[in-house]
Amino acid sequence: MGQLFESLIMAFKAILQNKTRAILTMLGIIIGILSVSLMGTAISGIDQVFEKSIESMGQDVLYVQKFPWFMMNDDWWEYRNRPNIEEEYAQQILERSSTIAFSSPSSSRRADVKYGNLSVEGVEINGTTWQEAFISSVKLESGRFFSELEDRYGTRIAVIGYEIKKNLFPNEDPIGQYVLINGNKFRVIGVMAEQGKFLGLMSMDNIVTVPLKAMKSVFGRIWWISISVKPKEGYSVEQAKEELIFIMRGLRKLRPQESDDFAINQQEAFRQQFSNIRFAISAVGLGITALSLIVGGIGIMNIMFVSVRERTKEIGIRKAMGAKKSIILFQFLSEAVIISLIGGIIGILITVGLVGVVQKFFVAQLSFSLVMISLSVAVITGIVSGIVPANQAARLNPIDAIRYE
Amino acid sequence: MALLELKKVTKVYQIGTVAVHALRGIDLSVEKNEYVSVMGPSGSGKSTLMNVIGCLDTPTSGSYILDGKTVHDDIKKTDGNGKLSDDDLAYVRNQKIGFVFQTFNLLPRITALHNVELPLIYAGIHKKERIEMAKEALRKVNLMDRMHHQPNELSGGQRQRVAIARALVNNPSIILADEPTGNLDSKTSQEIMMLLDELQNAGNTIVLVTHETDIAKHAHRVVHFLDGLIASDEQTPKGKA
Repeated sequence: MGQLFESLIMAFKAILQNKTRAILTMLGIIIGILSVSLMGTAISGIDQVFEKSIESMGQDVLYVQKFPWFMMNDDWWEYRNRPNIEEEYAQQILERSSTIAFSSPSSSRRADVKYGNLSVEGVEINGTTWQEAFISSVKLESGRFFSELEDRYGTRIAVIGYEIKKNLFPNEDPIGQYVLINGNKFRVIGVMAEQGKFLGLMSMDNIVTVPLKAMKSVFGRIWWISISVKPKEGYSVEQAKEELIFIMRGLRKLRPQESDDFAINQQEAFRQQFSNIRFAISAVGLGITALSLIVGGIGIMNIMFVSVRERTKEIGIRKAMGAKKSIILFQFLSEAVIISLIGGIIGILITVGLVGVVQKFFVAQLSFSLVMISLSVAVITGIVSGIVPANQAARLNPIDAIRYE
Repeated sequence: MALLELKKVTKVYQIGTVAVHALRGIDLSVEKNEYVSVMGPSGSGKSTLMNVIGCLDTPTSGSYILDGKTVHDDIKKTDGNGKLSDDDLAYVRNQKIGFVFQTFNLLPRITALHNVELPLIYAGIHKKERIEMAKEALRKVNLMDRMHHQPNELSGGQRQRVAIARALVNNPSIILADEPTGNLDSKTSQEIMMLLDELQNAGNTIVLVTHETDIAKHAHRVVHFLDGLIASDEQTPKGKA
């Protein structure tokens, strides 16, 4: 045990005697570990953001829309010529269906929202129906959602997003106050709980939800409608989707050979798209990482061969003094591992710094397990690249080694 | 029983297709506290003999017993196949042999004290005890005031004294000195030889390789080598006295 400890110290001293060389050798490992930990951080960050973003979308919600969420560029013109989705479909779907519990039309556009002399520009004004409260997974922080009656009359009331509250009502309760949307007075009846940003980029809190009828009365024309549909309890999304397609084809009076001229979107599409992106990122990341670690490892191996050669005489002396093969092996192997471990630690420290910066713009988190994985990778790289030179050192014939100049 | 006993020891090196017979059947025994010089022209086999005695190399055939331990014996095959493994040889070197080389062979960039500690590190001796033992060895060679100096800060004579301290530190059965004065001027050589004489007087066994007759005279017995064989083996005047 004491021998191993002494060998470790000797290995450390050997590195200190050649600082510049060691640091240059470490560079490769630093870059390798940097890419391991950054890649891991990025992937786990993307995962987190994705899960949180998609949560607000509602797992069992179907959206009847003109365009599918993900399409090829060439198809756009074809989709563009489809007939628009009509508001009336929502009611018709409910009447014809046996699997669907809620069906709510909604639309949105941007407008400025004012309160007193405060104002927020470019807020998403989302017009929808009372049913939205049962479809969406968005929670209210205070107040209430609008009722069926208010909906039918197009009462000018609003449920405001968290950011709107923060900006317009920093010090007072917004419930019961009137905000101006495009110059029209809306009474605030509820505040949504904080949602964060969609995929870490688009704020989902910069939003005001109003009855669709009230929205139409303020803005006049509505450009597009999306219908959110939620299945009844006991029915799966797939069952509801099947029936929904059937009903929509009926509403559009499509013949059997004609293809759908509408799109049924769901969270699943995002998930699928995301898993493709995630896979691509991981594959590319793994490739870069493996490559840079191999380059780093070769650097260490190279320098260890040089080190063994330079210290052939030292190895001979140590052997003459009674050092066993295993001790010489351990000494040189630890030298390689120390270099790569220090490189790994530096790599992680740089990652911590970078993550700190990135965190200001995007969700990023360096987990403890990722740190441990990165350090293990560094140690393994050190062992793999150090084993051959160290073994060469251990097997040197003491007579030849001691005479080496 | 002799401290060191070689019987019919041969060593053959294969260099390409040529077999070089470095030792052609050596019988040699050295008693405890003996002081033996080995002389001979280069290529006579004296260095090979030192390597075999020092367990840096193993004989091709014959037997070698050191301090009761069979290092090599392909006649009786007492220890397994009659050969020690590399690690066993390392153990014998560590425990029973102290080397003094012509070129000192100290490790650069570490202090004299640490150099002397080296055999003790590989013997697995605890740090505190190790430093005490190393200091004691340096005291014996009268270098206490230099123990924190690195080899490049020491004179040739001082370096060789550090090397002797290193050879002594683990109380070896035998001290092997291979041309210990070969790199030193005559005055320093005398100092080193006097130091070796003292060590012998204190009870150590010394085998010394040299080609200088003056140096060889310090020993009690001179063995001459020629073409891989012992040409003569005589007591010196000092040995007869």
